[in-house]
Amino acid sequence: MTESRDPRTGEPVPDMCVDDPADAVGAPDPHSDSTLSTISKATYFKEAALRNLFLLCACVAVAGVGLIFLFVGLKGWPIFAKVGIWQFLTGAKWYPTKEFFGILPLIVNSLLAMVGALVLGAPLAIGTAVFLSEVASPKLRELVRPAVELLAGIPSVVYGFFGLVLLRPIIARLFGGLGFGLFTVWLILAVMILPTIAALTEDALRSVPEGIREASYAMGATKWQTIWRVLLPAAKIGIIDAIILGMGRAIGETMAVVMVAGNARVIPDGIFKPFLTLTTVIVMDMPYASGDHRTALFGVAIILFIISMAFVAAIRVISRFGKEMS
Amino acid sequence: MRLRRLGALAVALLIVASSLALAGCAKSGGASQTSLTVTGSTTVLPIAEVAAEDFQTANPGKRVLVAGVGSSAGIESVSNGTSDIGTSSRDLKPEEKPLGLVDTKIALDAIAVIVNPSNPVSGLTKAQVSEIFQGKIKNWKDVGGPDLEIGLVNRDEASGTREAFSKFVLGTADFDPTAAVLPGTGQVRSVVAQAAGAVGYISLGFVDSTVKALAVDGIPANEKTVADGTYPLWRYLHFFTKGDPKGLAKAYIDYILSADVQNTVVRDAGFLPITEGGK
Repeated sequence: MTESRDPRTGEPVPDMCVDDPADAVGAPDPHSDSTLSTISKATYFKEAALRNLFLLCACVAVAGVGLIFLFVGLKGWPIFAKVGIWQFLTGAKWYPTKEFFGILPLIVNSLLAMVGALVLGAPLAIGTAVFLSEVASPKLRELVRPAVELLAGIPSVVYGFFGLVLLRPIIARLFGGLGFGLFTVWLILAVMILPTIAALTEDALRSVPEGIREASYAMGATKWQTIWRVLLPAAKIGIIDAIILGMGRAIGETMAVVMVAGNARVIPDGIFKPFLTLTTVIVMDMPYASGDHRTALFGVAIILFIISMAFVAAIRVISRFGKEMS
Repeated sequence: MRLRRLGALAVALLIVASSLALAGCAKSGGASQTSLTVTGSTTVLPIAEVAAEDFQTANPGKRVLVAGVGSSAGIESVSNGTSDIGTSSRDLKPEEKPLGLVDTKIALDAIAVIVNPSNPVSGLTKAQVSEIFQGKIKNWKDVGGPDLEIGLVNRDEASGTREAFSKFVLGTADFDPTAAVLPGTGQVRSVVAQAAGAVGYISLGFVDSTVKALAVDGIPANEKTVADGTYPLWRYLHFFTKGDPKGLAKAYIDYILSADVQNTVVRDAGFLPITEGGK
């Protein structure tokens, strides 16, 4: 049963292909023909050079994260020292030009935006994944999957523009108000996190061994019973990971949100009222912020950094937990 | 073969990097001579941009780069040397006075209070406008309109229009914090044009048929009432330079102040020539 899986994942095969031309390059080298068992010096150096090149790539990624954290931390730390971390996190007023540095409304708004997007987007995404993995015929799958993948490739500013120009006036007409607000943001974010959650959920469903499906059918279960009672529970850990990644995307999304949120610096008293989030406050305020205001924006960035680190940590813990279970 | 390809890539990167570096040198070396950077108010943008194009046609080889980022950002960038001219739709704040900026007033602008064309309200008193933007009046029926919730549209804090509107209308009071905050004149106009209960404020020059400008204290907002000083919400538009304008900056400012540009470009953009400001 695992053999039938291998061609589908397909990863090891192209790797082998890459190695082959390397030998072919080495072969015409006149010095290397003397012995068969040893590789030539040229090949050895090439291999060593490539190994170090890849090491360098990895180092750049690690150094990038480290430097950004260091920079944001150094720039933002003074605001914690000035107003106090607790006051910064729980203050109800964000009027930096009047020396009020409380980001509680921003935190609450970010969470509201994320939770609503998940409630709308996650079932849609998991449904899409179940369809792609279990229901669709191969032909239909070839049609739907690229469409879902394309959704992930659309730049977020395009989502925002779509929301601002098309969706917002419709919502203003249907529900009154200006059309800015949580509801509009939820709709946009739900579509934006769909491809992330759908792709990872599909992977999780596909990694459920074929034998489990066969066993379920052999017991007389219907397709629906197999999906609901067997496959989704079996892929549970992978699906939770997918949802957390979707949460990360929803809470970090900036460009699309800033265009349809309306940017009022309060906790909105309705889902059709404008609001500001942790990410959009940086976009809105950075062009003119100076002094403590600018420092406070870096403080907001530190909080965002910590939130996304928490998401990554949650995924690692849950994945390890899942491995121990199985 | 793979290495050769990598080598080619490295060479290509080197070429790109060095040409970027060269371009950078050329720009910084000749900034005072061939290119002029003008940043600031989005309100001033239509004047600065059209004038820049005409100025470049009249002076081949000179380049004027114009960007609209808000008045505060414009003043910030001219004072720290990032741009040569900072455009602004507000005067300097007290804390900006010591920056050594020289003010050249280039046009007159009025701020119009705009509503959706479907709104039957056609005029408000200044006090009513103030209470609406403070969030004290929340429904159009309280000012003689239909029973419809008022949707407040505000500008961001970098906006000179917001600064001026706040000074004219609110005085020391604060804006309603639940109002939508939008980062540009065009966005305010399009949102007001698409929402029945919306109210916002923009430069008179940007009012078009998609929105309706309200009369304030019974005086309609138009060029005539602004010129004779009866319309209450008006202000100067400023060009700020670090020290007295000189070289290309002076040439560009003189060009904008010329009677020809004042009567064509400034008027076409919906503003009033600076010469009209005799009140």
